[in-house]
Amino acid sequence: VVNLDHESILGLDNIRLELPVAGVGSRTLAAFLDYLILLLLLLLWTVIWSVLAVAMKKSSWTLVALLAGYPVLEWSYFAVSEILGGGRTLGKRAIRLRVITAEGGTPGAGALVARNLVRSLDLLFGIPLMAVDPLARRLGDRLAGTLVVHERRTVAAPIIGRVPPGWGPRELAAVESFLARAQGLEDPARTYEMADRILDRLRRDSPELLEGLDVRGNPVEVIRRALQVEEG
Amino acid sequence: MDYARFVRLRRPLWERFEAQLASPPKSMTHAGLEEMALLYRQVLHDHALAAARYPGTAAAQRLRGLAVEGTRLLVAGRSEGPGGLARFFTHTFPSAFRRQLGLTGIALALFLLAAVWGLAMTALRPDLGVALLGPKAIAGLAEGRMWTESLVSTVPPAISSSRIATNNISVALSAWSGGILAGVVPLYVVLLNGLMLGAILGVTLHYSMAGQLAEFISAHGPLEISLILVAAGAGLGIGRAVVVSGDRPRSLALRDAARDALAVLLGCVPWFVVLALVEVLVSPSPDVPASFKLAVGLSLEALFLALAALPGRSPDTLGAL
Repeated sequence: VVNLDHESILGLDNIRLELPVAGVGSRTLAAFLDYLILLLLLLLWTVIWSVLAVAMKKSSWTLVALLAGYPVLEWSYFAVSEILGGGRTLGKRAIRLRVITAEGGTPGAGALVARNLVRSLDLLFGIPLMAVDPLARRLGDRLAGTLVVHERRTVAAPIIGRVPPGWGPRELAAVESFLARAQGLEDPARTYEMADRILDRLRRDSPELLEGLDVRGNPVEVIRRALQVEEG
Repeated sequence: MDYARFVRLRRPLWERFEAQLASPPKSMTHAGLEEMALLYRQVLHDHALAAARYPGTAAAQRLRGLAVEGTRLLVAGRSEGPGGLARFFTHTFPSAFRRQLGLTGIALALFLLAAVWGLAMTALRPDLGVALLGPKAIAGLAEGRMWTESLVSTVPPAISSSRIATNNISVALSAWSGGILAGVVPLYVVLLNGLMLGAILGVTLHYSMAGQLAEFISAHGPLEISLILVAAGAGLGIGRAVVVSGDRPRSLALRDAARDALAVLLGCVPWFVVLALVEVLVSPSPDVPASFKLAVGLSLEALFLALAALPGRSPDTLGAL
């Protein structure tokens, strides 16, 4: 099964790990949120120095400090919030993204600093670079050896505990994903229709699994009992 | 092994690992760490087996999640940062610089050609200088003043130097990135800058001000021209990959060319900052003797070339590019 959403890396013992790499869209969205926050910080910075300039009456040096602060603030917002947040700025937190190393591990502070050093260049080149690269790395990511991935909550999903003879991964995956979604489906008639088709297949492949079960009840429940499905 | 049996046998282990991931203990004994590392490895192998034999099933998906999450928590990043940056400037940049040397030479030759042309043009027709420098600067020259004196005296140095740095970087950036248009933009930047320098030299010679011009540009000029030529050479490299990709796919040739070009460009960026400070604090200042300005200019250029000539052969940080 080739999954086009994921790009794999080789982990420990050369085991292939498929990382949920975040694409241009979600990363741009997170960056947009971050720049909104940064804009607020810059406004705050401007207000503080304007007040100081009036209070201290030395406008030329306060102006220099004010202007020099802008690039420093921009760079340090991203670097510091990624270091403190374990690879997540506030915008990445909102979109549920996280920076990891190219090996899938937690990046060190040095890598997080380095990937944000070239951020101003990436405003120009970043988006085309991310769109072309299968791992969606911008310049800073390439320099620091990092990736940005989606954070997925692992939710408990039904797992089949008794496999009918002749069933391969395709059947197992189909039934499991049906059972996982059966609760949330809106139209009970359609749900039962799909469940009945699975039951027909079960009757054909191994009727002995259905022995002793009341097949006139809720078909989803019958499947769960017949296949000894457990949540987990 | 049957799917159900696999899940039944291995599941307690996955759950133990998941519990440890969910609440990593604040301090860990050696035995605890070893147990967690062993659990991680077992989960990783189970993940590989499930991905191969039961792809798409709930157990395979859960194992993938556990493997990714465990890898993130247990595998520490390589320590990049200061060491990585140092390696970039001592190894990656020099080797990329040398691979681009031929193209930089072409840029230099074109630059000199355009400069000679500009010089000849303004030497023969001095009134052409009005079109290049503007009437105000020419009138100033006729009275024995350089237009560069007013360049920085009115604004604080911090602001004008950052403006000059931005300007230089944007010239180099356009020379570099414009390489993607089959190398037309770097050629344009090189020829235009050469022509301008030659023409200005011709005009100042005409008004017997060439000495002042040489004094003004001696501190920052050599390095600034070198940086623009190096960036343009890198841009030409990108352009060459677009036009002549050989028997490889164009995207592959472009990627290889862009790797070197990017290393060269990134290696130039800190120099632009140094250059802007020199251009504001040293170059226009009448208190600094001309010999000192020339010494600064030559030593900056020598430092840049020495750094670029460092023998860099170790695996570079941009290797994954």
